Amino acid sequence: MKHPRLHLREAPLPGGQPLAFAIGLTVALFVGTLLLLGAGHDPVRIYSRMFEASLGGPDAWAVTLNRAVPLGLAGLAVAVAGSMGLWNIGAEGQIMAGAIAASWVARIGGDWPGLVLIVAMLLAALGGGGLLAVGPAIARARLGVNEIITTLMLNEVAIRLAQWLIHGPWKDPGAHNFPLAPMLPDQAHLPTLFSRAHCGLLIAAAVIGISSLAVRYTAWGYELRIAGSSEATARYSGISLSRKILTVLVISGGIAGLAGGVELTGTADRLTESISNGFGFAGIIVAALALMRPSGVAVVALLFGAVQIGGQSIQTLGVSSSVSTILQAFVLFGAIGAGVFSRYRILLDGEAPVVPEEVNQ
Amino acid sequence: MNEASLIGLFVATVSFGALLYLAALGELLTEKAGVLNLGVEGMMAIGAVTAFIAGVEFENPWAALVVAMISGAALASVHGFFTVALGAEQVVSGLSLTILGVGLAAYLGKDYVGLPPGAKLEPVQWGGLSDLPWVGPIFFSQAPLVYLALVMGVAVSLVLSNTRLGLALRAAGESASSTDSAGHSVLGLRLFAVAAGGALAGASGAYLTLSLTPQWAEGLTAGRGWIAVALVIFGAWRPGRVAWGALLFGGTLALKTRLQTFGVDFSPIILSMLPYLLTLAILLAISVRSRKRPSPAPTGLGLAYRREER
Amino acid sequence: MTQTPSPADESQLAVQLSEVWKTFPGVVANAGVELNVRPRTIHALLGENGAGKSTLMNILAGVYRPDRGELKLHGRAHQFRNPADALSAGIGMVHQEFRLIPSFSVAENVVLGSAPSVIKTRQIEAEVAAMADKFGLRVDPAQPLWQLSMGERQKVEILKVLWRDAQVLILDEPTTVLTPDEVDELGEILRRMADDGRCIIFISHKLHEVSGICDEATVLRQGKTVASSLDMATTDSTELARLMVGASPTTSDRPAAATPGVPLLELKELSARGDRGIDAFSDVSFQINSGEIVGIAGVAGNGQRELADVIAGLRPATRGSLIMNDADMTTASPRQRFLSGLGYIPEDRLGVGLAPRLSITDNAILRVYRQQRRGPFIVAEKALSYCKGIIERFGVRSGDIDGPIAALSGGNLQRLLVGRELDSQPSVVVAAQPTRGLDVQGVKAIQDLLLERRNAGAAVLMISEDLDELLTLTDRLLVMEGGIIRGEFDPRTASRQEVGLAMLADATAVSRP
Repeated sequence: MKHPRLHLREAPLPGGQPLAFAIGLTVALFVGTLLLLGAGHDPVRIYSRMFEASLGGPDAWAVTLNRAVPLGLAGLAVAVAGSMGLWNIGAEGQIMAGAIAASWVARIGGDWPGLVLIVAMLLAALGGGGLLAVGPAIARARLGVNEIITTLMLNEVAIRLAQWLIHGPWKDPGAHNFPLAPMLPDQAHLPTLFSRAHCGLLIAAAVIGISSLAVRYTAWGYELRIAGSSEATARYSGISLSRKILTVLVISGGIAGLAGGVELTGTADRLTESISNGFGFAGIIVAALALMRPSGVAVVALLFGAVQIGGQSIQTLGVSSSVSTILQAFVLFGAIGAGVFSRYRILLDGEAPVVPEEVNQ
Repeated sequence: MNEASLIGLFVATVSFGALLYLAALGELLTEKAGVLNLGVEGMMAIGAVTAFIAGVEFENPWAALVVAMISGAALASVHGFFTVALGAEQVVSGLSLTILGVGLAAYLGKDYVGLPPGAKLEPVQWGGLSDLPWVGPIFFSQAPLVYLALVMGVAVSLVLSNTRLGLALRAAGESASSTDSAGHSVLGLRLFAVAAGGALAGASGAYLTLSLTPQWAEGLTAGRGWIAVALVIFGAWRPGRVAWGALLFGGTLALKTRLQTFGVDFSPIILSMLPYLLTLAILLAISVRSRKRPSPAPTGLGLAYRREER
Repeated sequence: MTQTPSPADESQLAVQLSEVWKTFPGVVANAGVELNVRPRTIHALLGENGAGKSTLMNILAGVYRPDRGELKLHGRAHQFRNPADALSAGIGMVHQEFRLIPSFSVAENVVLGSAPSVIKTRQIEAEVAAMADKFGLRVDPAQPLWQLSMGERQKVEILKVLWRDAQVLILDEPTTVLTPDEVDELGEILRRMADDGRCIIFISHKLHEVSGICDEATVLRQGKTVASSLDMATTDSTELARLMVGASPTTSDRPAAATPGVPLLELKELSARGDRGIDAFSDVSFQINSGEIVGIAGVAGNGQRELADVIAGLRPATRGSLIMNDADMTTASPRQRFLSGLGYIPEDRLGVGLAPRLSITDNAILRVYRQQRRGPFIVAEKALSYCKGIIERFGVRSGDIDGPIAALSGGNLQRLLVGRELDSQPSVVVAAQPTRGLDVQGVKAIQDLLLERRNAGAAVLMISEDLDELLTLTDRLLVMEGGIIRGEFDPRTASRQEVGLAMLADATAVSRP
């Protein structure tokens, strides 16, 4: 029986990661088709509705873009940390923390003019997310405590904090005893660009753009990438690792917090327990598929958003929301697998990767 | 506050503790072999829904439990395939598994929402023992899965420390290359550990729908899978310590809904933050105290193993 | 040219490897290697580092699979898919990097892979103790492994292999971590095992230890067998040294003699620990003057890598002092040393000197990026023109300079690294294995660059495994073995053999303190 083994390719396949994503998508669609057929649906009708609802016209694009905004910001947060080899698993909680901070500003600034209020809210959101990341950042920079578990724990804390606020001190007295936070002041909503697409798009684009530029073109970003590539090389060139870790994790948290603020002022009209809605975890996957590069996050977030919106839309055709979730998971696994194969080759017993003729000097 | 409500609190502590312990044990096994599986929420959800469905269809609770465990193992094996066989990034795969598991559970269970349970695992009566004051209700009137959790805890502990399999699993988590050189199949060991972890998480989910909250609804697992992940670290990867941690965290879960009866006006929501904050505190304390000593985590945790990579 | 006694009957040979080829990305490790081992013998596998000895033995032990070649045990052909197959065929290997688990006990480490289904700890420990006694290996089975010294851990590795009833034992550079007494002890233990019916393959580059212990020797050089199954009793060690290190080269022009000036680099009793906790080098003292190249010869693994790292500031010194340009730099950071005029060409090119996942331009500006800023930004034009300058002046052949550095060939990588370091005109240069793996042109280019710096008045330290290069280029030559400077030679007058022997720790060398 021939025994397979994985052999590192001399160079990754051309087209690399985008190809991997495309293959993943194709595999997912194939499996999804089977799933739909099994459930008695017409795949063609389903897929065309998905496309129509997500990318079929200005209204569709608006909804998709709105969804892509928090996905993109969360993905950016993870990617910025990931450029340095750090895992920010706490984006979910940082989004919530950002939303909480922004809500707090809305409570005290109910009569501020619109622009001032919104800017203040967004800045607070930035701060809220960053604050939540400070603990894990210090723990990692000074004590070497793995940031995966520390950021993970704070997710749950932040979500419960929001729950407590909504059920307790911030409960809307006019909501007839339902646990709801009060509505945001009228002026605390991001203006719309076209159809239902809100300015969050511009904000996200700006932040992603600035981050990409920073990582790619500034000295700070340069040092980040060196440290992410090889710690030894970083020390060799005089970069202070612990300071870098600290700043990167806090900035990452801040960006995630901003996502919460944007989502609050853009899509939602009050603070809710589900405002983070899985964006934090989806952001990790977006970042991983974008190879931890801020410049790739925008495209991946857009595609991801389209898949999610498309998935939601087919519920009216009798397909449950869980199907779209499952489809997403298939896409992810497909991309994960394809990513491995773009870097590794399968060899069977007795095969040699290269036929040696001469000895190297 | 009266005796009955205090007893009720302890009963619930043990119940919730067992729920957490089953899932945590599974994750402990997986991590001991070197694989990080962040998909516990998904595996618990799958276990819960398949147990419920099997209960409704077959009306046999034990068959339902078996179905749940197999389902959990099957789902976990997806993660195992990508991370162990292909060597993909474990964090990403685990999170994708959560999405898959929760979505799949919602899909499978949609026709069963709100239905009454078809089978339940009622608390076991131990004859005279169950009538003892205090000890009776707390320790001798629990659902069968609580005792299963205890048995599994002992079993896992014994297997890890006193059997060939346990030695090999631990070795795979410490140093995959040494284990490979010794003639064991690192691939086989890790796949097994991942699947076993999934089975236990599935059992934990089954406990939910067969005993604790016998009904199905989306989001039933409610973040308890993450507590299980934290528990493993909290207990420094030792089954005994994890058991104590499970009781502790189970207690906070139990306390959550009972605070009113104790006349304490402390928000249960804040209380539910405790497990997570506790884990953080313990982690930091451990790190500060033992900077020089080796970490209790399996040395090879999270690293893919490829034999020929130089 | 090999001496191959043709086996009259193949089944007489315990182990026979023939025509073995093995490649890794970018390098051919074994190119048609041959090895014949007779039963009940201790067989030395000799060669310099990189000759392919470990790779070959890893194939025999089932860790690697050969691209081509035959493996026969007692005349029967075998194909091992993994270490388990090799183990069940009776082959056990003690690797250079121990495959042990520090948190397990000695007994747990020994029985890993062959334990009974139920492990009764006390019983197992007693059995392990009994086997240890049988072969004269003194270990406490219940002790956690991390408490053991390297020499003791090696005994555990040997016990592991004996526990599996291995008939062929492979030891990869076993004496690296042993004191002279422990080496003798090992020799006795191995003799006992050979008499007991086993055959042992002993990988080494330390001739004097090997000649005391081994019966026969096979020599590898650059992936090929250059001598097979030589009788150690009748072969002269000089001849073995010559086979390992290679024939004398045609003489090349010596550079003009240097006129050394003031000392720019001074080491005084410098010592440091290695990664394994034992001293990597100790009490190293020498100085290098302006305008001279001092070489350090020695087989890799004798402390040179650590010495270079310590001079560069990447590893702390435990004792002694380091003075550069009249300033005490013993505890200075790498950046401070760079600013005071140090250029460092590390042995680990892609892991320390260059950032593997970044572009060529990014790597080129590693030392100077702080000067290329305008505000927070690195000015792209400045970076690009600097990079182009380096590429032109140092002859780096590259494609897209925004492309990944890993796309450069070895020679061009090194030209970039060396160019980048020398561009700031350092007054002290430390070059560790600067021409390793390069083709003829690449070697010449790097050597010329170093000579240029020396002529401009820099003090150059050149650490190399290539003896010819050192004899040609250096003004003074030191030999390092076992972490100690064994001697100084005048490269103009010293003979290859003389220096080669000191490098390979022949019997004439001073014993280790």
